[in-house]
Amino acid sequence: MQLVIQSAISGLLIGGMYGLIALGLALAFGVLKVLNVAHGELVMLGGYVTFFLVAVVGLDPFLSMPLVFVATFGVGVLLYLVLFRFVVRFDIDTRIKNSLLISFGLVLILQALAVTFFTADERAIITDYSTAALTFESIRVPFIRLAGLLVAVALSVGLQQLLDRTTFGHAIKATSEDWALASLAGIDIRRVYLVAFAISAGLAGVAGTLIALGFSVSPSIGLGWTLKALIVVVLAGLGSIRGLIVAGMLLGLAEGLASVWLGGAYREIVALGAFLLVLLVRPQGLFGRRE
Amino acid sequence: MRRNVSVAAWFVLLAVCIVLPFSSEDSQVLTIAIQTFILTALASSWNIIGGFAGQISLGHAAFFGMGTIITRELWLSGAPLPLSLAAAIVATALFALIIGVPMLRFRGIYFSIGTLALAVAISLTIGNLFPGITSMPVEALRAYTFTDPYFLALGAAVTTVAVAMLLRRSVVGLGMMAVRDDEAAAGAVGVDVLAHKLAAFAISAALAALAGGAFAFFSVSYYPSYPFTAVWSFETILVTFVGGIGTIVGPIAGSAFFVIGRDTIAANFEGFQVIGFGVLFIVVVLLVPGGMVEGAQRIGAWVVKQGQGRKRDVEG
Amino acid sequence: MLEVRDLEVAYGDLQVVWGVSFDVPERSIVAVIGPNGAGKTTTLRAIMSLLPVRGGTVSFRGKPISGLLTHQIVEQGLVMIPEERATFAGMTVGQNLELGAYAKRARPHRDETMDEVLAIFPRLAERRKQLAGTLSGGERQMLAIGKALMARPELLILDEPSLGLAPVVVEATFETIRSIRERGVSVLMVEQHVEMTLEVVDHAYILETGRVVGDGSSDELRHDRRILDAYLSM
Repeated sequence: MQLVIQSAISGLLIGGMYGLIALGLALAFGVLKVLNVAHGELVMLGGYVTFFLVAVVGLDPFLSMPLVFVATFGVGVLLYLVLFRFVVRFDIDTRIKNSLLISFGLVLILQALAVTFFTADERAIITDYSTAALTFESIRVPFIRLAGLLVAVALSVGLQQLLDRTTFGHAIKATSEDWALASLAGIDIRRVYLVAFAISAGLAGVAGTLIALGFSVSPSIGLGWTLKALIVVVLAGLGSIRGLIVAGMLLGLAEGLASVWLGGAYREIVALGAFLLVLLVRPQGLFGRRE
Repeated sequence: MRRNVSVAAWFVLLAVCIVLPFSSEDSQVLTIAIQTFILTALASSWNIIGGFAGQISLGHAAFFGMGTIITRELWLSGAPLPLSLAAAIVATALFALIIGVPMLRFRGIYFSIGTLALAVAISLTIGNLFPGITSMPVEALRAYTFTDPYFLALGAAVTTVAVAMLLRRSVVGLGMMAVRDDEAAAGAVGVDVLAHKLAAFAISAALAALAGGAFAFFSVSYYPSYPFTAVWSFETILVTFVGGIGTIVGPIAGSAFFVIGRDTIAANFEGFQVIGFGVLFIVVVLLVPGGMVEGAQRIGAWVVKQGQGRKRDVEG
Repeated sequence: MLEVRDLEVAYGDLQVVWGVSFDVPERSIVAVIGPNGAGKTTTLRAIMSLLPVRGGTVSFRGKPISGLLTHQIVEQGLVMIPEERATFAGMTVGQNLELGAYAKRARPHRDETMDEVLAIFPRLAERRKQLAGTLSGGERQMLAIGKALMARPELLILDEPSLGLAPVVVEATFETIRSIRERGVSVLMVEQHVEMTLEVVDHAYILETGRVVGDGSSDELRHDRRILDAYLSM
C-alpha cells in the first residue's frame, strides 16, 4: 500500500514535468499549427546548457533557468527564421504534414550536432540538495521533483496570464484562432509566429533544466520526451493550456500506478496505451473544445 | 520497345549484384552493398504504406526491429535461419494487423503521431528489457563470410522490390492508391478503405521484418534496441523521399545515393553527414516533393525543350 | 482613392480574375456586383494581400500596395470585413473591439474610438463581456463592423454584408454604411443583392466570371434594368 502511494506521488510530481514540456509543444502547435517533433531536442539542449552553466560558472540550476530560457529562446528564433518560417506559407493541412516531416529531420540533425559537440555521454546534475526530500510517514517527496512541479505550474500560469492580459497575448490568441482575420486586424502575424515559437523553445529549455536535475541528459533523449508531451497534449485536448499540467500529472499518475503492477520497464507501453485510448474514445481530450 | 529496355535494365542490375561478391574481395564494397540492399528493402517496404497507400508512418523501425530481434534470438539459440526468418516475418505481420486496426482509424497526422509513439514506446521498452549487446558466438564468427549475408540481403531487396512492382499493377495496389489520392472518393466507389490500409500496413511490416532478418544475420554485434531507434525510421523516409516517393525506382536510387554518399564522400565529414542529408531531406520536402525521380523528369523535360528550341532555330 | 488596374488573380493554375479595373473615389460608396463565383471575394482578398496578385496593380492614395503584407495595408487605412467568420468567436465582444485597434495608427486613439463605436452600436456595449461566438447573426455583423471601425479606416471594404441576414438587419447595416460615409470613410462593397445595393451606392461595377462587364452610377443602372437583366438575370 505504501508502495502504491509512493508511486502515485512520484508519478504526480514527474507528471508536472510532462505538462511543462507539453506546454511548449502545445503553444507552437496552437499558434503556428506546426507540429515540431524536435521539441524534445530543445529540451535536451536546455539540459546541456544548464549542465554547462552549473559546471563552468557554478550557478545553481534553479537560478540558471532564466538564462537557459533566453538561450533556447534564441535557438527558437533561429530555427523559426531558418526553417519554420517557410513551412507557415502552406495551408494548414499541408503545414502540419510538412512540419511533421521536417521536424523529424531536424530531430536527427540536432541529435547529430549534440553528439558532435557534447559527446554521447550521459550527463546529470548533482547538487547539495539532490537527495533532499520531505518525508511524511516514510513517503518521500523529493525536493527537486516538488520544485519542478512548482516551476511547471508557475510557468503555465504565467503563460496563461500573458495570453489573457496583455495586448500581444491577445494578438497571439487571435492568430491561433484565425490568422487571416488577425492580419486583417493589423496584427503582424509573422512576428506573432516568431515570438510564439521562440517562447515554446524557451519553455522546452527550462524543462530541460528539470530533466538534467531529475534524470539525465544525453543526445538521444529527445524523442522520448517529445512522445510524452504529445500524449499529454492529446490527453488535455487541443486548445487547452490550463489542462496541460493536470493532464501531465494524470499521465504520470497512471504510469506510476501501472509500474507497481507491471514493473518499470513497461512504463512507455502504459503511456502509449493511454494515448491510443484517448484518441479512440474521446478525441477532443479531457479538457478540449470540440472543433 | 521501352518496356523491353527497362526489363533488360533490371536484369542487368540484378546480374551485376549477383556477380559482385565473386568479383570483389573488398569487404568495404560488400558492406556498402549489403547496407544498400537492407535500406532498399526498408525503403521499398515503407513505400507501400507511405507511397502507395499514402499513410505516412513514422514508426517503420518498430517492424524492422522486430524482424531483427526475433530472427536473432531464434537463430542464436539454435533454430535454422530460414525458420527464424519466417517466424519473424509472420509474427511482425500479425502484430501489424493487430495494432493496425486501431492505428489506421486515425487519419493523417494522428496516424503519423501514433506510429511514432508506437515506435518510440517499443524502442524504449526493448532497451529496458534487453540492455546488453547481442554478439555472434565465437564459432559463428570464425565461420563468418560476407557471402551468405550478402545474398540474404540481396534477396530481401529483390523480394521487396518485386512485391512492390506486383502490387503497383494489381487491383489491390490500385485500391491503395485510390485511398491515398482521395479517401472519401475511394470509399464512395466501394473501395474498402480500412482493408486496403491494413493490407498495405501488414505487407510493409512483413517486408521490413525481412530486411530486419537480413540485418540480424549480417551484423556481428549491436545493441538490440538499435534497429528500433528513430534513425532507421528517418533514413527509410529520407531515402524514399529523396529518391521519389511512390515510385519503384525511387527507394532504390535513394538508398544507393545515401549509403554510397555517406560512406564514401561524406565519410570525411564525420557527424556532418547526417546534417547534410537532413538538409537535403528538408529541401526535397519543401521544394521537390517527387525526389530524384521528379528531378530527373524535370531535367528531362527541360532537355527536350532545349532540343525543340534548337530544332526550331535550325528549321527557322 | 483606391485604384485597381488590370488585376489578375489565380489559385495555382486556375485563373479566377482576369484584368479587373475599378476605382473608389474619396467619400464615395462603390459596389462590385456579381453572381456567385464571379470572383468578388477573390478580388477583395487579393487587394488585401491575402492572396498573391498574378498581375496588375492596386494603389491606395497613389501608393502601390500590392507588395505590402496584409497588416501593412491595414496600417495604410484599408480595412476589410470578410464574408464569414469576421469576428473572433472565442473572444469577448470587448476583446474583439480592442483587437480591432491593434494597428499602430489606431492604438493611441483606442479608448476614444471605442466610445464612438459603442455609441453607434449600443447593443455591443450591453454585450461587452459576452463571447462573440454566442451572438446572433445580426449582432455579429455589428461587431464585425465595429471592430473594423476601431482600426480608424479611411476605406472600408465589405464582403457581402447582406449575406445570411434578415432584411431588417440588412436595412440597418446599409443605414450604418451610409452614416460611415458621412464620417468621411469611403466604402467598397461586394454584393449579390442588386436592389438594396443600388439604393446605397454611388457607383457600381458589374463582375462576371472574373471580368468587369459594365459599370455606371446607381441612377444609370437603376433606370436601365436591361443592363442588369442581361448580365445578371436576377
